[in-house]
Amino acid sequence: MSETAHEPRNKIAHEPKSTFSQEIAAQPGGEYIRKCIQCGLCTASCMVANYTDKYRPRKMVQKILIGEREEVLSSELPWLCMTCRLCEERCQEGVSLAEIFHVVRDIAAREGHIPKVFKDTVNLVMKDGWLLKGSYTDFEQDDRTSLGLDPDLNWNEEFMKKVKARYFGKEPVEGGEQE
Amino acid sequence: MKEFVLYTGCTAPVRLPAYEAAVKAVLDKMGIKLIDMKGANCCGAQYVESVNRHAFAAMSGRILALSEKYGHDILAICGACSGSLKWVKHELDEDWKLRDEVNALLADEGLEYTGKTQVKHLLQIFHEDIGYDAIKAAIVKPYSGIRLAAHYGCHVTRPYDIVRVDDPENPTIIDRLIEIAGGTPVDYTGKTRCCGGPMLAMDQSLAVKIGLDKIRNIRNEKADGIVTACVFCDIQLTQVQFGEGVGEKERIPVLTLPQFLGPALGISPAKLGISFNKISPSKILAGVMEV
Repeated sequence: MSETAHEPRNKIAHEPKSTFSQEIAAQPGGEYIRKCIQCGLCTASCMVANYTDKYRPRKMVQKILIGEREEVLSSELPWLCMTCRLCEERCQEGVSLAEIFHVVRDIAAREGHIPKVFKDTVNLVMKDGWLLKGSYTDFEQDDRTSLGLDPDLNWNEEFMKKVKARYFGKEPVEGGEQE
Repeated sequence: MKEFVLYTGCTAPVRLPAYEAAVKAVLDKMGIKLIDMKGANCCGAQYVESVNRHAFAAMSGRILALSEKYGHDILAICGACSGSLKWVKHELDEDWKLRDEVNALLADEGLEYTGKTQVKHLLQIFHEDIGYDAIKAAIVKPYSGIRLAAHYGCHVTRPYDIVRVDDPENPTIIDRLIEIAGGTPVDYTGKTRCCGGPMLAMDQSLAVKIGLDKIRNIRNEKADGIVTACVFCDIQLTQVQFGEGVGEKERIPVLTLPQFLGPALGISPAKLGISFNKISPSKILAGVMEV
């Protein structure tokens, strides 16, 4: 490649060519994939990557760029991002990995690839309106009373029925209807 | 007197009620009035957020709309909730199609999102609404000779453009408050790193490793305690110290920010729920109150 030293950066920016990367770039938040230069600063600052060999954010972006659609969507990798956004504070190119992976999860969910824990938790919230109904026993109520707090938590259950009907159909996150 | 409507989120009322009590006691002392939000729902953080952007917007959007009905800005005390509410507010302010969609779901209840209320995390209330000078003036029993490590919480401080709480690379609010109350804030490796809490769903042992990494870094600085500003971080940094690899005597007490400030403001330990803390902070509090 010829060296054109003073060419503006947007001209030498990476142009994702795979259909999958274009699919991601077309959704809100996914456009960040266009800016990635594959430097690996994200992996270097990632606490998950620091403690497990199975997860490398740079590598996952690379797989998207080269179009490994099925491999990415069916793996657990997109769900291992903690969305702590430390990498994007460090990224010199202004890439938001959390946003890119959010789009990946959204597509994966639409195609039925959702880890069980996410599926179960979403179903629970759709049913109860909040996360911890099953854990809120007499003991916790007593604790609240002794702290001078209202033991009646007043959660609304009705609204989630509308959300469920609108976005997930009858069976929440399994092959549900989506926008 | 400034008033806020308090959105506790799902976890604080059940798993960390002492935090909720301490928030109320300390803000009351500092002249901030709180109204409990009734009839709320989960904000949708992490789980619904991950699988459907529109459903997530509807859930957090309803909480934002409820605050408009109350006519007050929201105080969120959980990092995940404050992050979600601010994120969705940003989306609803930018994406009018999404706003219409959310408002259509809210119409039956007579609720509407128009964007007129703001979302604040607890740190902002201390920094922006009360101010360091007023807190300084209210300190009646300052700490002395104790070293404390601040843990801010990823979703409290990032992404800055949306949450606007503190410098995400070099946050200072908790450290300043530690100092104002007479303690010594200690810096440590990986201060702005995650507690590992969001990993609990997918891989518990990995979540513990990430949490213990932080505990080790804090212990290296010989801190007497950790001060938190998020429900999940507080629980995670406490729980990881009860697994393998941490001896009972090595455990570092974890205090929520209002539980730390309260005693210095002359608030009784009972009101702050100090006895609920799993790792007793008695060494930290010995100088300022009878525990």
